[in-house]
Amino acid sequence: MAERKDYPICFDGLFRQNIVLTSGLVTAPVIVAATTAERAAILSLSFFMISYFSILICRMIPKKISYTVRIILYAMVAATVFIPTAILVNTLFPETAPTVSLYIEIIVVNSLLLAKTESRFYLITYAAMAVDAFVYIVGYAIVAFAVALIRELLAFGTVFGAHICDALMPAAKSPFFGFFLVGIFAAACRAYYNRKKAAGEKEADVLRKEAEA
Amino acid sequence: MDILTKIISTAMLSIFVQNAIFERAFGSNVVIYASRKDSHVTGFTIGLTAMTTVASMITFFLDGLLLPMKYGWLFMPLVYVAVISILYIAALLFLWRVFPKTFSKVRKYAHLAIFNCTVIGALFLNSSYGSDIWSYIGYGFGTGVGFFLACLLLNIAHEKLDSDKIPKAFRGYPIMLVYIGVISLAFYALVGYTVDF
Repeated sequence: MAERKDYPICFDGLFRQNIVLTSGLVTAPVIVAATTAERAAILSLSFFMISYFSILICRMIPKKISYTVRIILYAMVAATVFIPTAILVNTLFPETAPTVSLYIEIIVVNSLLLAKTESRFYLITYAAMAVDAFVYIVGYAIVAFAVALIRELLAFGTVFGAHICDALMPAAKSPFFGFFLVGIFAAACRAYYNRKKAAGEKEADVLRKEAEA
Repeated sequence: MDILTKIISTAMLSIFVQNAIFERAFGSNVVIYASRKDSHVTGFTIGLTAMTTVASMITFFLDGLLLPMKYGWLFMPLVYVAVISILYIAALLFLWRVFPKTFSKVRKYAHLAIFNCTVIGALFLNSSYGSDIWSYIGYGFGTGVGFFLACLLLNIAHEKLDSDKIPKAFRGYPIMLVYIGVISLAFYALVGYTVDF
């Protein structure tokens, strides 16, 4: 059995391995439902509650249980955690929460829980996993808010509900605009890391040449 | 004849008007993954269509019990996941016993085709808009066909979207999203939406 690694806190989940921008694991709520900051807050809170607590619980499921059964257990745990989450968000946001309820409900089968638990979280210690999962969720919330704020300004002319200007582009609240925006964000994120990687390689080349000389 | 008309019209609704991928973005990552290989397009479509259709039939009866309850909606995800899980195990057992070769091929990605937002999203939409069992079946089947349509459109464009002609930063996943956005816009026009500006 592979030994579990306890590695330093890794912030890759924020941008470099962001679950919306690079791996595209949980895109639907951001693309369709994140049209205002309030909605982004509901989605982020729901995603945090359902995914984080489910991951913490699911990590305790023994790996010797067959993969087929584990996947079912993950989804069942998330569906159970959905109950207090739904009560909480409906209490905090009684008017807006029902309008995005569909996108809260589908979080119970999100790929962060179903895929990352297997491919990443099982390989590290419990404490490292708790931090790692939290970083991934913060990364999700950053993208959800970024997308939502742009769309809110363009579609409604407001920011956090405060009137700023007339609606510049009402179509910004449509799903197709969400696809465009997330696609552009994903490309920008990749361009930044490509450039950073190229700069790192260049610097390594210079250092190697200096050492050889 | 009325039944067939109802099934077909609801299926058309879920393929074109409420397409799971282009209108709801359900399972965008799954459709991008599935569209990479021709064999995956077939495998995912068959698995997903069978699941949405059969699960819709079952959840019609369960919705009848849950929806009238005051807090029934809180337990719907749990009930839907239970239904999907039972069907998932039944499907794997069936494949293992009857088509062992297919089973060994699909077991690696079967969970991706079953436990995703497209399947569970279809069940939730059915609970909101479905009126009788025929509309549930039509919607479930149409969701699978709509997924196939999305897979096919992405599969056709996959080579071009991954080519050197696309800027490096956009190649792969980002341009796929933009491409889905363009098709989503086309679907908007097809349905007859007009943007109010």
